[in-house]
Amino acid sequence: MTAAPASPDGEMRPELGARTRAELGPVILEIRNVEMRFGGIRAVDKVTLDIRRGEIVGLIGPNGSGKSTLFNVISGYSTATGGEVHFAGAEITSWKPHRTARRGLARTFQIPALFDNMTVLENLLAAAAQDGWRGARERAAEVMGTLRIEHVSDHRAADLSGGQQKLVEFGRVMMRPASLVLLDEVTAGVHLDIRKIILDTIAALRKTGITFVLIEHDMELVRSVCDRIVVMDAGQVITIGTFEEIARNSEVMQAYLGRRA
Amino acid sequence: MALLLQTLLNGMLIGGVIASFSIGFQLTFGVLHVIDFAVGGWVVLGGYLAYWMTSRLGVDGFLALPVAFVVLGGIGYLIGPIIYRVRNSRTARPELMALALTFGLFTLLRGGALTFWGFNTRSVPTALGGESLSLGPVTVPLLRVVVFAFAVAIATALFLMLHRTRYGLAIRATAENRHVAGYMGVDVERLSARVYGLYAGVTGMAGVLMAAIYSVNPEVGLRYTLFAFFVAVLGGLGSVTGAIVAALLFGMIEAVTATYVGSSYSHLMIFATLYLVLLLSPRGILQRGL
Amino acid sequence: MPRWFSILLMGVAAVAFLALPELLGPFWLRIATGALMWAGLACSWNVIGGYAGYIDFGHSAFFGIGAYATAILMGEAFGWSFVATIPIGLAAAAGVAAIIGGPTLKLRGAYFAIATWAFAEMLLQLANVLDITGGTGGLSLPPFLDERFFYYAMLAAAAATYGLTWLIFERSRFGLKVKALRDHEPAAEAMGINTSMVKLQTFSLSAAMAALFGSLFAYWVTFINPGSVLGGDITDQMVVMVLLGGLGSFWGPALGGLGLFLVNRVFWLNWGDTTAYIAVLGIAIVAVVLFLPDGIVGLFRRSNRQGSSLLAGFFRRRRRISAP
Repeated sequence: MTAAPASPDGEMRPELGARTRAELGPVILEIRNVEMRFGGIRAVDKVTLDIRRGEIVGLIGPNGSGKSTLFNVISGYSTATGGEVHFAGAEITSWKPHRTARRGLARTFQIPALFDNMTVLENLLAAAAQDGWRGARERAAEVMGTLRIEHVSDHRAADLSGGQQKLVEFGRVMMRPASLVLLDEVTAGVHLDIRKIILDTIAALRKTGITFVLIEHDMELVRSVCDRIVVMDAGQVITIGTFEEIARNSEVMQAYLGRRA
Repeated sequence: MALLLQTLLNGMLIGGVIASFSIGFQLTFGVLHVIDFAVGGWVVLGGYLAYWMTSRLGVDGFLALPVAFVVLGGIGYLIGPIIYRVRNSRTARPELMALALTFGLFTLLRGGALTFWGFNTRSVPTALGGESLSLGPVTVPLLRVVVFAFAVAIATALFLMLHRTRYGLAIRATAENRHVAGYMGVDVERLSARVYGLYAGVTGMAGVLMAAIYSVNPEVGLRYTLFAFFVAVLGGLGSVTGAIVAALLFGMIEAVTATYVGSSYSHLMIFATLYLVLLLSPRGILQRGL
Repeated sequence: MPRWFSILLMGVAAVAFLALPELLGPFWLRIATGALMWAGLACSWNVIGGYAGYIDFGHSAFFGIGAYATAILMGEAFGWSFVATIPIGLAAAAGVAAIIGGPTLKLRGAYFAIATWAFAEMLLQLANVLDITGGTGGLSLPPFLDERFFYYAMLAAAAATYGLTWLIFERSRFGLKVKALRDHEPAAEAMGINTSMVKLQTFSLSAAMAALFGSLFAYWVTFINPGSVLGGDITDQMVVMVLLGGLGSFWGPALGGLGLFLVNRVFWLNWGDTTAYIAVLGIAIVAVVLFLPDGIVGLFRRSNRQGSSLLAGFFRRRRRISAP
């Protein structure tokens, strides 16, 4: 495949990564000139990005580059101070999180956000309490089976090991009828076995048309799973492309290693 | 016009008194991250200590000041670590548990006071008794001036300690970030105990003076707790300067409402204002709260 | 425990409760009625404090609203029958909760506690100065001295309260939503749960429950004044009962309510005045926080945690440095 230069506006190139353009669906998430300002700090600085149905997009960058903030803006926890976000045909810029979630968005959080005092089963059922209550119990059993956590179904979420907690968080996402899934470092610090389960599940779900955006620091994972990678630094998108393209890009290296002549 | 001046002056003096125990309350919140429900209890306890000393030992009320500081400060120093541990424990909802603990403490103090001294209001005679000062169109009870001066002295002393001494620096660092302070060698638990003890002692002294002005009975403890809350929220939880400003404001509201509307409405005004501030600006009118 | 055993136990308890008036004299029947009322009030507080996790230090406001609604409407100006006043009391309390709940529930933790406390104190002061509430002098209600009626009425109210709580918070998807927002509000939002609405509904429900008992109380004691139905002591008792029994559990409020109320009555019987009881209450709260943070119910629950009390934590801490 020829390496066409990636442009920061998210334009698709035919020879892009693991998927050809024909295989990808329409654009489901549009981010236009989004800016997120906290006082004098621009955590997200004029970001424009398109995500297509069925993609697995990796979002990488040094700490503080605005990745999690971008997630917060998309999912509604922060309202963009500039620009617009469109999702599934609606403008969701000022929507509250639950409204965006009901539209078909699911996400995990960087710091585990489990319902501590509830059991694993209750955590999964709670995820379906709003949308998808019918058949929730059966689905929960399925999810626990897939993620190999049936044996802790009755345990308090707070009592689980770190890896198990990540699985439950991921399981909650699986319980929801979502078309776009935002995962924030979902495999950070977990055992390789557990990571494999998660990645296999992502691959399987993608085949059904679900789109994923992953914030990750693990480059191996990013290389093996993601179709496209968006690199952020200091609130801006500095480049977008396949893993190979990114790896060769000197700007990316500078961002990660610090400014050097 | 003279009435207005007198009212405002009264308000300022009341505010000064309230400030004297609100400052400690703020400090406690800043360092221990606990809203101490028991603040009114310390005030009342100080008052009763003064009453006991004046009625049983026959001494002047002012002598109770250092005694209150030592006794209540000591008790506070012993209790401080317990509050600290609960607040930092690994149980579910430590913030709630610490709140419940101080609430339990307050209930205990109130119940104890009611049981030992009954419902009756006790007064505390002092050398300045009923003397007043005349400043042109306004008269001012000397006692209240003394209390105001006390509040100013306490506020100044605390400010100097916090900003000019190394220990004050440790306190501010701990309030800022407990863990980092610990890494820097601060014994956070001991410091918290000392801060709580200091706060209890100072508040107890304020209680002695309050008792001298207003007399003391067990029911006012709740009122003082409320006043401290009011001042703390208005000024921003954790902010000492905010507390001073808010206390003066409080005094004004109280005095103006009592004089121009009616004393039974003054409490209503206070609560209504507190509620509104919480809804509109929970971080305080100066936005300095946590 | 096995299902059939629970049902059997329920059946026996139901029979016992229904037969109680036959077995007790009027004095003890009054105590039983009071116990039922407090168990019900504790349940209502647990709905907002335990299930939703919002510590309401002004819940007596709703109890008072119910009491005053009944007292005013049964008074000379209106002359309603008792039963007719109940829905008004419920609606008034739920309405007030819905109005103030919107902005107030946005506050977190201690701020919410203080705000609700301020609100309740405001109502108390208001009742002291208004004419329609009879000011500090209070209001009298038409006397109705049938102890059995009040016992059964309280029993029905308590049964309805607990029954509704069971259905809504332990057995329905709404209950899952409430517990989810208690444990992690942002995550609950991410599941599509409209936490503001769920909180408001829960708060209104808990208010209505408290008002029900307020209405009954007013008719039962035939005289109310601001201090007796809007006072902070009422909220204090509710909170302690739930903490003692087990915050957020289903049976906790009943256990704590019954237990503490009996202690209260024993005090009153043996030592007359209740001021020492207040001190005991204080000690009880402190003891629960230090040694029994999960309440009595926590003693029965076999959990995987390594002991949640302060003492257990104290001993563990000596062995390792806690991480931030």
